[in-house]
Amino acid sequence: MAKRVFIDFSRCIECRACEVACEREHGGRSFISVFEWEEMAAMAMNCRHCERAPCVEVCPTNALYRDDDGAVLLAPQKCIGCLMCGIVCPFGIPELDSLNKIMMKCDLCADRRAEGKLPACVETCPTDALSYGDFNEIQRRRRGRFTRETIELTKKAEGFGLLQP
Amino acid sequence: MRFAFLCRDRPSPTGRKVAVIGAGPAGLSATGYLVCQGHEVHVYDKLPEPGGLMLFGIPEFRIPIYRVREGYEELREVFGVTFHTGTKVTFGERKDEGDEFVKETVDFNEIREQFDAVLIATGTWRSWIASIEGTDLEGVYPALEYLFRIKSAKLGHMSWNSIPPVQGKHVMVIGAGHTAVDAALESVLLGAEKVYLSYRRTIHEAPAGAYEINLLKQKGVRWLELTVPARIIGENGKVVAVELQRCKLGEPDESGRRRPIPIEGSNFQIDVDYVIFAIGQTPTPPFSEDVGIATDRKGRIVVDMRHMTSVEGVFAAGDVVTGPSKVGKAVLDGLNAAESMHIWLEGGE
Repeated sequence: MAKRVFIDFSRCIECRACEVACEREHGGRSFISVFEWEEMAAMAMNCRHCERAPCVEVCPTNALYRDDDGAVLLAPQKCIGCLMCGIVCPFGIPELDSLNKIMMKCDLCADRRAEGKLPACVETCPTDALSYGDFNEIQRRRRGRFTRETIELTKKAEGFGLLQP
Repeated sequence: MRFAFLCRDRPSPTGRKVAVIGAGPAGLSATGYLVCQGHEVHVYDKLPEPGGLMLFGIPEFRIPIYRVREGYEELREVFGVTFHTGTKVTFGERKDEGDEFVKETVDFNEIREQFDAVLIATGTWRSWIASIEGTDLEGVYPALEYLFRIKSAKLGHMSWNSIPPVQGKHVMVIGAGHTAVDAALESVLLGAEKVYLSYRRTIHEAPAGAYEINLLKQKGVRWLELTVPARIIGENGKVVAVELQRCKLGEPDESGRRRPIPIEGSNFQIDVDYVIFAIGQTPTPPFSEDVGIATDRKGRIVVDMRHMTSVEGVFAAGDVVTGPSKVGKAVLDGLNAAESMHIWLEGGE
């Protein structure tokens, strides 16, 4: 439940391989974008598939819905292109497909998930900046990593004695 | 890092054989695409392990080693890709950075005859060195060679004795791109006492971005902006100091950045033991003599819309075509080239 693409901003090297993979998967359109700022690190950003998604709430035709993995998906046949989801999204995620006159957004690679595969961006990321899974499980792993790194650091700094009585 | 992310299993074979020269991000993602179409792919690389700069250049704290290994191992185990490592494909004599591991040399034209199509993805493995006095001294390194040796030792392909012993020494890195930043950071991690970064423009023009430069400063790297090396001073054949000249910024040049102008009489010296040049790299195609493949004045291979070179059936992708770029850009270029190769192999245009 509640599986998401977790983005570890500190690991992103702004190589944009995720964008390339997403474009491949979605017919030339990337639903993950890497932003770079002169004074700041690079940041990859995609749909957060919010637990209480404003886009789902506001959609007048119920075109936006949640699938079994917890991903917020768009049913193209129901969408009327009213842009409301895009307006209420705090991250500016839903975009208008001006050719088909409907909205489009990250679907966490629904086709790939159906085959038991990971989202394309996660598969392609060379740096471990992107991971996919249950959010609380990912957090648990991160806590574990933090404690492990702290212990390793303490071992290195002899006499520092964080773990000694 | 999965390269064959378009498919899961190996499709039925088409009977066509493709050679990919260079196992970096462009070559490997092209390989991933081609095996998903059922072609037999042989990958040639002069290094002892596939991965290219992702494994032998970019530090481990940026790209974890296991991610790259996972990727090429899947290509080998699941998709039957044959990797010819330690094998340099070339035509004509040329010495490049990373040649230490070459066990075997294969003639480029021989590859062309053996395979239905060839992809050149050999990247940019030669570093620029400033044409100043003293670059032949012991202790002067091209950045790529410096990083390459450190990563080779980490990967277990080279002994730590072959790494420049910078511990407790003074290191100066020239340049402010990603390679320069990585060379400076690795020097800090190896225990260099003082690390300097000399750049001829200011932090605002630094190709690696102000964020990365500021991180370096926090780690104790001394940032010397608006300086350019005038000469390297040696004693008994070894580097002892660098003479830097201060610059000011003038009018924008063709790249749109303000041109650095050296100031007469502003020279000063800094005592260093190592000088690392990270001022850019040039393409290293697998030929140094005329094989009928056109290159431009920067040495990049010229390709058409289909990523095909001036020789029918020989394609090129990645940094060897675009010049130094980024992992993602190389992946994209490799995928696009592979798509064209597939269409061409199937008899289309």
